[in-house]
Amino acid sequence: MAAVTDILIPASPEEAVSAYGDGAGVTVIGGGTIVMPDISAGRLKPAKTILLARAGMSAVTREGGRVTIGAATPLEALVDLPAPVGPCAANVGDCEIRGQATVGGNLCAGEGPGAPRGDLQGALIAVGAEVRSAGAGGETTEPLEDFLGKRRERLVLDVSFVEPAAGAFVALDRPHTHEYTTLAVSAALLADGSVRLAATGAGWWGVRLTSAEAAASDPEAAGQAALQDVTLHDDVLASAWYRGQALPVLVRRALAQLRGDA
Amino acid sequence: MNLTVNGVAQEIESPPLTTLLDVLREELGVNSPKVGCEQGGCGACTVLVDGEPRRSCLVPVAAVDGADIATVEGLGTPEDLAPIQAAFVHHYAAQCGFCTSGLLMAAKAYIDGGGTDDREAIAEALGGHVCRCTGYVKILDAVAAAARGDEFDISVTAEGQYTTMHSGGET
Amino acid sequence: MKAVGARLPRYDGVAHVTGRTVFVEDWDVPGVGWVKALRSPHPHAGIEKLDPAPAEKIKGVRAVVTAADVPLNVYGHLSALGIPGDEPLLADTEVRYQGQPVAVVAADDEEIAQAAVDAIEVEWEVREPLLDVRKAFDPDAPQIHQWGNWYPHFEAEMDHRQIRKGDIDKAFADADLIVQGVYRPAAIEQLPIETQVCQVVPEANGRLTIYSCTQALYFSMGVVAAHLQQPLNKFKFVGGTVGGGFGGKVDTATETLCCLLALKSGKPTKWRWTREEEFLCSSTRAPWHMEIADAVTKDGWILGRRMVTLHDSGAYARFSPYGVTKHSFHHTGAYTIPNLHFDGWVVFTNRTPTSAMRGFGVTSVSFATETHMSRIAQELGMDPFEIRLKNANRIGDTSPNGVVYTDPSTVPTILAIADHLGHELPADYRTMTTEPRSGDLLPEHLVAQLGNVEAH
Repeated sequence: MAAVTDILIPASPEEAVSAYGDGAGVTVIGGGTIVMPDISAGRLKPAKTILLARAGMSAVTREGGRVTIGAATPLEALVDLPAPVGPCAANVGDCEIRGQATVGGNLCAGEGPGAPRGDLQGALIAVGAEVRSAGAGGETTEPLEDFLGKRRERLVLDVSFVEPAAGAFVALDRPHTHEYTTLAVSAALLADGSVRLAATGAGWWGVRLTSAEAAASDPEAAGQAALQDVTLHDDVLASAWYRGQALPVLVRRALAQLRGDA
Repeated sequence: MNLTVNGVAQEIESPPLTTLLDVLREELGVNSPKVGCEQGGCGACTVLVDGEPRRSCLVPVAAVDGADIATVEGLGTPEDLAPIQAAFVHHYAAQCGFCTSGLLMAAKAYIDGGGTDDREAIAEALGGHVCRCTGYVKILDAVAAAARGDEFDISVTAEGQYTTMHSGGET
Repeated sequence: MKAVGARLPRYDGVAHVTGRTVFVEDWDVPGVGWVKALRSPHPHAGIEKLDPAPAEKIKGVRAVVTAADVPLNVYGHLSALGIPGDEPLLADTEVRYQGQPVAVVAADDEEIAQAAVDAIEVEWEVREPLLDVRKAFDPDAPQIHQWGNWYPHFEAEMDHRQIRKGDIDKAFADADLIVQGVYRPAAIEQLPIETQVCQVVPEANGRLTIYSCTQALYFSMGVVAAHLQQPLNKFKFVGGTVGGGFGGKVDTATETLCCLLALKSGKPTKWRWTREEEFLCSSTRAPWHMEIADAVTKDGWILGRRMVTLHDSGAYARFSPYGVTKHSFHHTGAYTIPNLHFDGWVVFTNRTPTSAMRGFGVTSVSFATETHMSRIAQELGMDPFEIRLKNANRIGDTSPNGVVYTDPSTVPTILAIADHLGHELPADYRTMTTEPRSGDLLPEHLVAQLGNVEAH
């Protein structure tokens, strides 16, 4: 429905960066699963669009324990990665959605009209992922939880993390495959023995559960502590009350899964 | 832009962010993929893009410039049905028919990709498709039967009582 | 007979699987215009100002229709059943549900149609909505309908549906236990995969061809003819292939307005609702509030039932009086209860009007009755199969509305379920039949209702 004046299909990451510039007025389409419904409904009328389908940013590489995922990598390519990232990706939509949706699109998604988006944010925060991005001021690399505040003004190039010693992913399981993640908790045991915890759906974007991490040796206490790390909200998927009941349970289960896994 | 649709090369004039669904239906008159939700939530629009099942309502046509698109129109004809089509007829897997096109293409991709008659695996592969009429059981029967390579007599409906999600009926 | 019992193939099965079945939007109508609606963002508001002129000036807009363009804006779809009309095709002075259409636009494409809708000037006077059926009866509740907050049942003496049978006070006095329950099933959207859609073509001979997704072709033709004040032979309805309806496509949601736009523009016109519109604006199965109190004996007889039903009709009556009437006739479910006191109200709220969905009126009470039977079994410490078999309808028993059962299948069905599940039953239960009650199955309190059509 949109009358688009400017479509760019960069053939390399360098071209993508150049096309993006400082990002002003630019709509980036990774796969399109999040953006296309808004364009079809006329809610979004992009003036300048960059399609990343052919930019050569779709690879997963593993080197010396470090996993690097190109921004335009479809989620389906992640399902066999270790927990929490693999199971988190496998929990998104169905195979048709995962075949089209990209990591970059998922991380950079804005708040939805009905519910939070960005299913992968919690899992990648838990493994301590870093985001390499372009935009105003040039290229930067920073922890994902710091990136999220400016995700709407950056072009993600890739996401990388060191494979954890162990990982766990627990989500509220609804029988449909179409909603964004109502609530999920990801846990990772890093090589140095520390535990990281993060949640998706406990707020409008992914959040690290630092208070829960501090109490990680006692899953029950960690579950309760997690409530201090989040600002819960009502939305079409669940009420704040419901998420508040479920979050401690998911934290406890994630830690138990982590122990069983380690 | 260019697409090959069911083996026929097509030049596309629609704007680049037109959905593949609208290109197929409005520009090319290929009507089998249906408009169910325009949000990727129902699967009525699923077609194959280079052999992979995709929600055509979510695909900007510019992203698939040059691709091979397969729809129901290219599967088979009434005189010469593809096995998956005959399976759906024999097992009564379609009632109103509106979700059928998307399911057929997803099922075809599943079977072409080596999918077996394991009902859990079929339900997982086709899990993004919503059907409001059939209750899904006969769809599972049909896809399982096609995956097994059964032969189908489309002049009769299959025997099958008390089939459930997890157990098939007799055929 | 060649067909009954034969495993016939579905007559349109091959067409469905080859993509040859033609749904409404598959008809290729050259030059067809797109329709968008201006809909109320408020559940309850007055319309202070409505000016479509800015929309009409936009290039590519073919026509704008408001209430002033509708020859008969309020038409009672069930006037033949004595239910007067209450709902305007397009709102004129006020809106009573979020999503209620106020104006419609036909334009050359979807984008222009939406821009035109956005250009219509409208001002609202927001009013307090009534959203909870239980509050409709409060003296300080917002008054939201010209008939009051519930349908007054013009054809009856009472302002709500009543069933009275036997002596309810004696039943409650004789009971060993009163078992109570409140049941509140929520609204259910039919969710057909094909949304509401129609295409209308003005023909050279002055007729309109209407490609419609309606489940009720002749009914919709009558509705359109009545609103347009035109003879039936002006309309050629083409239908028959519906992408799912389930009761959600009997309300003639698109055809009339699409016809008005086609007539005003002189051009073919298509209206396909978005999935959002289907959720927000199309009728659903109603939410219900049902309260049941049963007078029961310790050996599991149900002597009497008091029941109150509040049916959430949404902003307008549509078919709800009919639904509540059916509901009342079935309020004892598959069981015979001789003393009854039922009151049911069709209550208006500022929500999307509710309408038919499979089992209209009866699914709600079946849910409530069955759950209540299990609750009774639990409170009495009785087997849930046995309590059902004991009270099950049999030949010669009578229904709440005085119908004498000639062959109810309750007993054989329950026995078949028990058998299928491997649920053990004592011999006297296992051998029960649907034959008329006698002996232990005919206690004193069930004698009077046998073959007795005097319910009121």
